[in-house]
Amino acid sequence: MKEVLATVLANAPIAEGVYSMTFSAGTPMPVRAGQFVNLGVGDGAHLLRRPIAICKAEGENITVCYQLKGEGTRLLSRLPVGGKVSVLLPLGNGFFVREEEKKIALVGGGVGIFPMISVLREYVPKGKEIYSYIGFRNKNAVCCLDGLEKSTALTVVTDDGSYGKKMNAVQAFATDMDRVKPDVVLSCGPVPMLRALKEVMQGTGIPCYVSLEERMGCGIGACLVCVCNKTDGAHARVCKDGPVFNIEEVIL
Amino acid sequence: MADLSVSLCGINLKNPVIGASGTVGFGREFDEIYDISVLGGLSTKGLTLEPRPGNAVPRIAESRGVILNAVGLQNPGVESFIEHDLAWLQGKGIAVIANVAGSTLEDYEKICARLDGLVDMVELNISCPNVRCGGMALGIRPENVKEVTRLSKGALKRTPLMVKLSPNVESIAVNARAAEEGGADCLSLINTLTGMAVDIERRRPVLANNTGGVSGAGVKPIAVRMVYEVAHAVSLPVVGMGGITCAEDALEFIMAGATAVQVGTANFTDAMAMPKIIEGLNAWCDRHGVERLADLRDTLTLN
Ligand SMILES: Cc1cc2nc3c(=O)[nH]c(=O)nc-3n(C[C@H](O)[C@H](O)[C@H](O)COP(=O)(O)OP(=O)(O)OC[C@H]3O[C@@H](n4cnc5c(N)ncnc54)[C@H](O)[C@@H]3O)c2cc1C
Ligand SMILES: Cc1cc2nc3c(=O)[nH]c(=O)nc-3n(C[C@H](O)[C@H](O)[C@H](O)COP(=O)(O)O)c2cc1C
Ligand code: FES
Repeated sequence: MKEVLATVLANAPIAEGVYSMTFSAGTPMPVRAGQFVNLGVGDGAHLLRRPIAICKAEGENITVCYQLKGEGTRLLSRLPVGGKVSVLLPLGNGFFVREEEKKIALVGGGVGIFPMISVLREYVPKGKEIYSYIGFRNKNAVCCLDGLEKSTALTVVTDDGSYGKKMNAVQAFATDMDRVKPDVVLSCGPVPMLRALKEVMQGTGIPCYVSLEERMGCGIGACLVCVCNKTDGAHARVCKDGPVFNIEEVIL
Repeated sequence: MADLSVSLCGINLKNPVIGASGTVGFGREFDEIYDISVLGGLSTKGLTLEPRPGNAVPRIAESRGVILNAVGLQNPGVESFIEHDLAWLQGKGIAVIANVAGSTLEDYEKICARLDGLVDMVELNISCPNVRCGGMALGIRPENVKEVTRLSKGALKRTPLMVKLSPNVESIAVNARAAEEGGADCLSLINTLTGMAVDIERRRPVLANNTGGVSGAGVKPIAVRMVYEVAHAVSLPVVGMGGITCAEDALEFIMAGATAVQVGTANFTDAMAMPKIIEGLNAWCDRHGVERLADLRDTLTLN
């Protein structure tokens, strides 16, 4: 965990309302799939950093993809190449795939597709078979196909059917699950999607890990702002104990 | 190299910068980013007798220049702190201030008795809702401020008592005098100002708790004014906070009468905020030929 003043190497749109930013952290960063960064907006008016998943980490260079949502992400999108951005990284636990888990299913929707790319980058070279089920809003939102195509098999669907079949990522996965028989399922996306996935996974005995989102203060586990509810009644910090949790252990 | 050390109720701080309660946990997480032994002190997350789960999420929101929080005092309880974190924190060689809260007067008495002699100082958070006052904070009415201070002080035989004043009151100077009469050894201020942020798409408050405590850069002028008023209303040392982001901000509080300062929200914007403030204080003193930072305290001349 480090705070660095990073230099922007690239920052440009890759789909409607979605930007990809690559920055140099100045020193090589050991990063696990599913970890995230906290980006300073840096204008003095927005005091909270924005948590964004790491898509790609190559030595000093980190790439993130973000959807324009409010003022913070809009300000980030205006950062010029060569500009500086304060980054706290790497944060969170990340996805961890066991040695014996050979077949991975990835289920990603919305901004939840971005951490999936980091999984592909880490685990394809380790010889895992990865089946990806990725949902976009419509064809204008489709992005990151080059990263996603590293999958053993890739299914892209859209909410309106303008690209691939008209369904969501969970439906695409559910129709394929018995054929593929994954050893583990990794997922990230909006809460309703994760709830649907929890239902699909119930009783299958297949372990399933989900990456959660919550509003954050410190981003490092100190302020207890970002909690989620665990099924055992405890609160867990999304930024430090997560963002990745066993789907059976969290209340969605 | 200026002398940044200050003395607070007989406790020597190597510099006046203290991590503000609730923003730095028990220090362990920030210590993963920098060695927190550079700090003057740390005020813990608000401790209660029993563990508390806190409020529903979202617990935080942002508005121009400020944030709002409603964590609801989630904490593992005072026993867990004593067992798991206290020795580690003391090993850092900084002033350890236990921030405490309760829902009854008896809670405050018991938790102070438990911490007596174990920490460098106890800081009373009297801004949380209290059953004694029908859910209103103990820190609002002067008579309640005096009473909770008196009972807490009675339970603290060996440890100095710092009372943290709420700004959501009629007169913070009157409440400061009430704490002084109750036997406080020093005062800290300000706690957060109560506010609300609205999500206009959902037509609902952003925070699950509807309202929350406002803190961060934007509250600084209010905090400086209150610190000035309080420092001149009592003869106790005052620890100032509210919106400090840099050394210059800290100096405003010190010149207005604060002996030391706490830094909260700035730790979220910049994880290195406190070490930078300490370096900045030293640089400012050097540039201005000030040998002892403590000499700058209460040097404000009104227009
Ligand atoms: C671990 C994690 C990873 C994420 N990864 C990505 C990613 O790879 N790509 C991407 O586009 N988005 C991602 N998000 C969501 C992203 O953080 C928000 O979209 C972003 O903070 C919105 O900021 P804003 O200023 O544009 O929006 P505003 O709504 O103006 O933000 C106001 C405040 O709310 C917070 N906030 C708003 N929405 C969210 C949210 N969904 N989660 C957490 N905080 C939020 C903001 O950080 C800010 O503090 C991730 C969130 C988390 C927690
Ligand atoms: C997330 C958060 C949690 C806080 N928790 C506590 C607490 O437990 N007890 C307390 O006395 N003050 C608490 N505070 C208030 C701060 O200690 C401080 O008084 C206030 O934030 C003003 O300082 P700042 O503007 O530097 O943040 C909290 C503040 C924040 C932002
Ligand atoms: S954001 Fe502070 S604990 Fe997670």
